[in-house]
Amino acid sequence: MSTDSRIITASVLPPPRSVGGIGGWIRVNLINTWYNIGLTTVFGFILVVALWYGLKWVFLDADWRVISTLGGRIIIGQYNVEAACPGRDCFWRPQAGLLLVTVLLGMAWSVSGGGLTKRIAVLFAGALVACAVLPYSLDKMGLDVRLLFAANVPALALGWVIARHTRLGTVSWIAVLAICTFLLILVLLRGIPGVPYLQPVSVLYWGGLTLNLLLAVAGIGLSLPIGIALALGRRSSLKVVNLVCVTFIESFRGVPLITLLFMSQVLVPLAFPENFPQNSLVRAAIVITLFSSAYMAENVRGGLQSLNPGQAEAARALGLPVWQTTLFISLPQALRNVIPAIVGQFISLFKDTSLVYIIGMLDVVEISRAFIQGNPEYLASAKEVFVFLAAVFWVFTFTMSHVSRRVEQHLGVGKR
Amino acid sequence: MDIILRNLTYQGIPIWRNVYVIRWVSQIVSGLLVVLLVSWFFVNIGNAIDDREIPYGFSFLSREYQTPIGQHFLAYESSDTFLYAFFVALTNTLIVSIAGVILATILGIFVGVCRMSNNWIASKLALAYIEFFRNVPLLVHLFFWFYVVLELPPVRQGYVIAQKVYINNGGLSFPWPSPNGMGTAGVWLLAVALAIIAGFVTHRRLAIREATTGATSYPLVLGIAVTLGIIAFAWLLLSVGLIGSEGERPFGLSYPEPHGAFGRISGGLTLSGGLIALLVGLVTYTAAFIAEIVRGGVQSVGRGQTEASRSVGLSAMNTLRHITFPQALRVIIPSIISQYLNLTKNSSLAGAIGYSDLTNVAKTMTQTAPAVSIFIMIMVAYLAMSLVYSVIGNLYNRHIRFTGG
Repeated sequence: MSTDSRIITASVLPPPRSVGGIGGWIRVNLINTWYNIGLTTVFGFILVVALWYGLKWVFLDADWRVISTLGGRIIIGQYNVEAACPGRDCFWRPQAGLLLVTVLLGMAWSVSGGGLTKRIAVLFAGALVACAVLPYSLDKMGLDVRLLFAANVPALALGWVIARHTRLGTVSWIAVLAICTFLLILVLLRGIPGVPYLQPVSVLYWGGLTLNLLLAVAGIGLSLPIGIALALGRRSSLKVVNLVCVTFIESFRGVPLITLLFMSQVLVPLAFPENFPQNSLVRAAIVITLFSSAYMAENVRGGLQSLNPGQAEAARALGLPVWQTTLFISLPQALRNVIPAIVGQFISLFKDTSLVYIIGMLDVVEISRAFIQGNPEYLASAKEVFVFLAAVFWVFTFTMSHVSRRVEQHLGVGKR
Repeated sequence: MDIILRNLTYQGIPIWRNVYVIRWVSQIVSGLLVVLLVSWFFVNIGNAIDDREIPYGFSFLSREYQTPIGQHFLAYESSDTFLYAFFVALTNTLIVSIAGVILATILGIFVGVCRMSNNWIASKLALAYIEFFRNVPLLVHLFFWFYVVLELPPVRQGYVIAQKVYINNGGLSFPWPSPNGMGTAGVWLLAVALAIIAGFVTHRRLAIREATTGATSYPLVLGIAVTLGIIAFAWLLLSVGLIGSEGERPFGLSYPEPHGAFGRISGGLTLSGGLIALLVGLVTYTAAFIAEIVRGGVQSVGRGQTEASRSVGLSAMNTLRHITFPQALRVIIPSIISQYLNLTKNSSLAGAIGYSDLTNVAKTMTQTAPAVSIFIMIMVAYLAMSLVYSVIGNLYNRHIRFTGG
């Protein structure tokens, strides 16, 4: 090594002309080799054709009136038909439920201080306000219904103000309030016997997107804890516990959900005494939750296996009992490692709620299909309906995966 | 003194804090609880069967099913038994699963490779495909395709390609091989089986030779050549009638032909609209998942591997074949097999669009047969299918796991 310490000075050069600017970007990304030129031509052609026909269909050929004819059925199914709700003035109840959710989102916006939560809150309230100005052809869609939709803007502001000026503006309070809201919505939709304006509505008439979301929220809330318990049971050295958990997980994972749902309708009523209170909605919720828990258990198990055994050993050596080691050392790290898998399972649970058609529940997909089937004049618009439903589902699932990526970044997965 | 000594003597762990006792007691208690719960269910089912006179048992299996099955690949009459109808439905599920698995793998790998391409348009198109298809419920996909097929014109106005392929709202009809006489076809199929075995043996022998002596032996090319050669030779022999009973080709082509005013198509192979919608839906949906798995697998192989292999002089093609791909496969295969299982289970949505798969037929069967027995039968059928998949997966895992080193 020489001791020569001359300072070498050199100016920082711009990138070569061939890779800078738009022309350079095209050169690097599209036409850098002869086969890439071919690929660009072929895929560019596909892209242009797909865009041309896609946009032409969406804006010119498609007849979207069928969506507004479906109207409230998309949101709540047959909830507001005469048989379910005499007088047909029950539509305010799901709307009130939506208002509660908007208030909650407003609070979350205020607590998070903007960013993704703000965008979700604004999108949610905005979509509902858009419902107020859309042309509906359902009778009973009077001024009151439109006003209740429009009320989501003040509701959002109300939530924001509550969180800002009261002690409720913390994450833990919002979590508690979210659970309360969920239960309150259930009571609101189900009704209370004897109370005016809240006459009971049978769960058989619940439907639409509300049904999908209720099942998904209940399933997401319950399947994670059950899945964690099953995963711990599967890793337990207690033979009996292990056997029970493995049998449960494998038998639920091996059979299609649709089969389980159908059989829950036929068999489960037999497995309980005749006077045991039960209904198809609860059965569907339980089956979806258990099915999802079995998958969740495998995801959590993957997370637990990815941990270095030294973590648990160190905790034990410091004197933490087994349950504290599991709760405070192993699980937080394990769950953090498998966030994408867990959220993926949430997403597929949400998608799977569309399978309740097999037990005759009219979720958003089934009510649309039944509507097309029952009104042959709309048969030609079937594609529009399902493209619309695809878009609706996509917005929800895309939001979920987007949030999961944010949570991962926030927790610094892969960085520490 | 005596008292002090007794107090100093170790008395042993008290029984309620002894970890072995706790473990045993908790196991016995939890085991008992589960057994009690399950037996309570069974007692209730038994009571229900007695009180409400619900049919049970498996004697219905030999009864006539007397219900038509939409599309079926095995010969089926309404007068066939429940057991045979169940078997026909199982074949329907298996056929759609196998076809779906093959097509989804091809499409999935294609999309996954496009996603990894450094061509911007290809990569973004693949991303859009993946993000859209896997975030929408399969049921919505299926209904969409179902109504697309329904909008096709009826048979007489349908599309005809080269007078041989018919596309219409009845489905897709195309030419399909049909055996000329069971004897010759059977002999030829036997020859095909033998040819495949011979091909494998040749491949293995030559591969060992190449590995031990280093002489280039073209195991794959020669193996395939041996197989194809034997198959073609058997075909020729049977056609000119040297070893067959009479000289005829084992298989001919049967062409679809419309008959009558409504154009019922006979001959060839017709895939019903429901089956096509199901296949297209399942394949495009599962391919999105497979594409992500392929991408994840290839990206899991460290860059250093590729760089090292290029710097010791392997070509890009050989690097992919011998370095990247074998290592990526280790990550890809287990996930892909679980996607295959998902596809098989998802084929149970067929009922929604009118294809008679296992679940759909079983659902219809519960109207005239005991639900408990039917449920046990489909449970066993699906669990057997998932067992087959996991056995394949485990065999593969054993084959590729790291040994030594």
